[in-house]
Amino acid sequence: MHHDGRVAVSVKDLRKSFPGGVTALDGVSLDIHFGEILALLGENGSGKSTLVKVLYGIYAPDSGEVRVNIGGKLTRVLINEPIEAMHYGIVLVSQVPQLIDKLSVAENLAITLSSLKWKGATSLSGVSRVSSVIEKECERLGLKIDPNEKVYNLTYTLKQQVELLRALTIGARVLLLDEVLTYLPTREKKRFYDILLKLRKEGRSIVLITHKLPEAFEVSDRIAVMRNGKILGVVNAGEITLQEVRSMMFGAAVKLLINDKTPSRKAGKTLGGEEIVVEQLHVKDDYGRDAVRGVNLVVRKGEIVGIAGVAGNGQRELLEAVVGLRRPERGIVRIAGLDITKRGARLARSLGVSFIPDRPLEYGCSVDHSVLDNMAVPFSLTNGLLLRWGRLREIAEKVIGEYQVVAPGVDASLKSLSGGNIMKVVVSKEIESASRAIVAHNPTRALDEVSAAFVRQRIRSRAERDRLAVLMASEDLDEVLRMSDVVYVANSGRLYGPLDPESTPREEVEKLMVM
Amino acid sequence: MVVQVSPDFLMRLSAAFSTLYLVALGHSLFEKSGLLNLAIDGLFFLSTGVSVFTAVTVHHALVSVGVPTALAPLLATLMSGFASMLIGLLMAWILTNLPVSHAAVGFSLMFLGYGLGILAGYRVRLEVGNIRPYAYPYELPTYLAATAAAVAAGLAVHYLLHRTCFGAAIRSCGENPHAAASLGVRVSRVRMAAGALGLFALGCGASLFPLLWQRYWDIKTYILGYGWFAFTIALASGRHPLLLIPFAAVFGGLIEFATALQALYGLQVDVAKMIPFVVSLALMVVYGATRLRKVLEPPSSLGKTYYKEERTV
Amino acid sequence: MVVSGLSLLLGLLIYVAIIGTFGVSPLDALTSVARAFVTPTVVKDLLVLSMLGYALLVAFKASLWNIGGEGQFYISMLPGIVFTLYLFNPEQGGAIPPFAVVLLSVIGGSLLAAAWAALAGAIKAYLQIDEVPVTVIMNYVVYYLLNFLVWGPLKGKRTYGYLRTDEIPSVYRLNFRLPMLYISDPALSFLYSIARQVAYYSSFVVGASLAAVFVWWVFKFTKLGLYIRIMGSNPNYLRATGVNTRVLAVATMALSGAMVGFAGSLYLLTELGRLPYELERQTAGYGYLAVLVAWLSLLDYRLVPLSAYIVSALRNAGTTIQVAGLGGVEQTLILIGSVLLVYSLTRFLIEYEVRVEW
Repeated sequence: MHHDGRVAVSVKDLRKSFPGGVTALDGVSLDIHFGEILALLGENGSGKSTLVKVLYGIYAPDSGEVRVNIGGKLTRVLINEPIEAMHYGIVLVSQVPQLIDKLSVAENLAITLSSLKWKGATSLSGVSRVSSVIEKECERLGLKIDPNEKVYNLTYTLKQQVELLRALTIGARVLLLDEVLTYLPTREKKRFYDILLKLRKEGRSIVLITHKLPEAFEVSDRIAVMRNGKILGVVNAGEITLQEVRSMMFGAAVKLLINDKTPSRKAGKTLGGEEIVVEQLHVKDDYGRDAVRGVNLVVRKGEIVGIAGVAGNGQRELLEAVVGLRRPERGIVRIAGLDITKRGARLARSLGVSFIPDRPLEYGCSVDHSVLDNMAVPFSLTNGLLLRWGRLREIAEKVIGEYQVVAPGVDASLKSLSGGNIMKVVVSKEIESASRAIVAHNPTRALDEVSAAFVRQRIRSRAERDRLAVLMASEDLDEVLRMSDVVYVANSGRLYGPLDPESTPREEVEKLMVM
Repeated sequence: MVVQVSPDFLMRLSAAFSTLYLVALGHSLFEKSGLLNLAIDGLFFLSTGVSVFTAVTVHHALVSVGVPTALAPLLATLMSGFASMLIGLLMAWILTNLPVSHAAVGFSLMFLGYGLGILAGYRVRLEVGNIRPYAYPYELPTYLAATAAAVAAGLAVHYLLHRTCFGAAIRSCGENPHAAASLGVRVSRVRMAAGALGLFALGCGASLFPLLWQRYWDIKTYILGYGWFAFTIALASGRHPLLLIPFAAVFGGLIEFATALQALYGLQVDVAKMIPFVVSLALMVVYGATRLRKVLEPPSSLGKTYYKEERTV
Repeated sequence: MVVSGLSLLLGLLIYVAIIGTFGVSPLDALTSVARAFVTPTVVKDLLVLSMLGYALLVAFKASLWNIGGEGQFYISMLPGIVFTLYLFNPEQGGAIPPFAVVLLSVIGGSLLAAAWAALAGAIKAYLQIDEVPVTVIMNYVVYYLLNFLVWGPLKGKRTYGYLRTDEIPSVYRLNFRLPMLYISDPALSFLYSIARQVAYYSSFVVGASLAAVFVWWVFKFTKLGLYIRIMGSNPNYLRATGVNTRVLAVATMALSGAMVGFAGSLYLLTELGRLPYELERQTAGYGYLAVLVAWLSLLDYRLVPLSAYIVSALRNAGTTIQVAGLGGVEQTLILIGSVLLVYSLTRFLIEYEVRVEW
């Protein structure tokens, strides 16, 4: 072990919850030592990001303590803003580079340096001073960055390098890296590892958040696993195997799988013609990166195709392209034989395709309006100009009854419902209003076990009885395995498969997810 | 078409430019930090009222003490700037720390600005009627000095925004306040500083309207809407301190030209008054419809509520 | 509702404080305000602001800030002037019944105002230029355009030296006069004066009622109403379901403008009777007051008349308070400003969960 036992940062009993009832941190206590690389593992929603954001002053904890080593003594501190964290030597680098695109590299760094009054730089100093400093640091670290280049011109890798440069230039003692390595190409990743090892030798602390287990094992000294806002355990890397860590991460779900046996899919179920066809699709994400790289896919009438994978591997971009909400760079999307590739969401909707989005609050509903209003949009039953409210009300009441949505009635505003019930409304209206296909992204997220089971059963029933094509992506592996006729695994923008969920061993799927 | 270029015309042109340029400059600095300024016309008028009040009052005070009154209009300009600056501080704090609508707050301050401007100036207007004696001396050197000062201010703001670390911090707040915070910016403080400085310039510029350019003020001048011209100039030139110069010069010239044309050729006075507004609209449309927009984009987070903790599902 | 009421009170207090520094006693100010609530002159403003409030409500519900009420209001009067004074002037042998001329004026006015508003809507929807400065600038264009027309082609022939259009022929006027009666009982006399006002402005009563019913119908029964409401809250949701939100934005602005134009043409035929010169100095500012009405009503159509009543009273209060030499319009500005400011500051209390930590 390479750490010298002194604690750099210590958190005790941190709690944080967000409006809507989501508990992100549920009493987290952790010590970060000097001269160590600590891997922080966990599924999405486990709290890893929230923890480091609290340390960086982006979020304020509801309760709990943060203590920082100042002059050899652990002192309790309040970190209200990132600048304060940086004063304590704590720097966060996120998966999405937090840089100002329209400014140059030098300007971005100048902001940090002058905020910290680093080496006498004040607010009114010229930015040009910083450029020479940057050049020197780049040489030292073996990086090639042009200080005068505008950030929006940089590749993703270079942006991450700028972030790293920023952290090192100000002499960060504790480096928090949130999924930073995930999108880096292998060669750059190796380079990064070398830098991290060097930093560790210098006595700095590094917290590496990742969901890629091999990565964690390759560089870290200790591994902490989080789940549901709690730390399940912290172990030395050499004292645990990959499989053991994997089961800690995906944990109890394994038991459920055994208890809730998949109802057997009809052997030799006759599938209909091709309903959704995706050919050689390339899609960029919001930051201009290649999120979907050459995907081919077919979903038949009555078939459920499930895409497993950790978040951020292109699932969102793929599904949004299929329903016409995102323009692909290359490739074709066909629905019922019709090329809908760049034609927009209206066409897909009119063909009877409904969509359960991963960001339900942004694309799936309007929280200021009632359940009934929200349902009226996709169902859209009209007599000319007028909506058939009577019929819509009947449908809405039937649906919320079936799905057991806890609400005072269909006239209740969505805002007043809990997060889980809002999700039920979003999901139910899409499932029930579809007439040709359902495209779903995390359809049972934030739902309790019983509701989730109901939703899955409904989707399956609509597929089988009404011959709908279902394309689903879910971060819940069990759900994908349980529901799908065919499984793919999304990893770094590509789809691996098709796999048969009944005959493929679970480990193999998991391996594809985290490789 | 012959337009007489007399010293008179030159002075009026320089006054038009100085007024519009300084107002647009201050407004641009304010908005560069991400704060939407829909109050511009109200602030404009308020500043004119304050400046008229100060000019007359200080003038009388100096006379009674037997001190030459040359400084009175200058003090009036500074006072306007100061009053406007206070509002800038308030706006910046409110819009950054409370999740309120920039548009709604700006719009309400516009009305308040009109009303308070009237209150500030109407009494002195009643007392003295003509404010000409209290305005800046009607001499070419004074007018050119004002223009030089305006341009110097512009150069200073340009240097601040584009060459210093602080300027980079201001612009970062306008583009992406969350990333700015991550880079170490105290968004609230930076916005308050930019807001104060920007509206100070705006207030000074607006004071030139009655005291240098029109040499006239009455309570009804709040309906003129000249603040919106400065708004359009800032929009079309991408809020860039240097680009503002030609735009402000052309617009100022347009307004003065229209009045001159009207005087010489009997162009109906309402048509002359309408021209700048139609041109504003046209400019906005051209800006929106062409590549100009790509090149001279507004700050990405302009007018967006800076809200840190959202609900999650 | 509590927040609305609070904003009103706080705004009012700020207003009283401000004019207090100019020598108006708070007591006088508040008494004036109280008294303004029960003067008969409130009736006219209440009705006009109700119609305009409904019109702006339609746009505001879509989060389209239609500040162009002034411009749409006045531009809608052009068809009325042209039809009644020129095309169908009864002195030149009226070929069509007066009712038809009135109808044409109202329809023409509504359409013209709708087009004017739609222009702003298109600029917003397709060029993403904020509709607030655009609509405000368009107001100014209308002021000067109308000024020019009144000075030129529409100049009146029998105006006794004043620059304005001619009066609209009385056969086209829409007001109804009840006779002046002397009633001894003060309460009855007061009620009768109210009744006279209502009768005089009965066209507004009809107009406001129609507007109310129309707005109720659109938002309760039509698909358009649903889409407008959702667009105001989350246009992304609409886009995700394939709705063309740009066309929707233009259509909503057009509808709002049409309703403003409807009110404007009625106003010409009932109250104004002609177009004055220097419109910008003589306008009552209904277009801007209506913004306040719409905002205060919390975009609830049931509250529009109440909101209109309150704003009318405040406006009339301003005219009675004597701040040496200052007219009423100017004071209204301060009042509106302070109420609006407080309101926008406190709205977030309704929408967000506020945690106060020490």
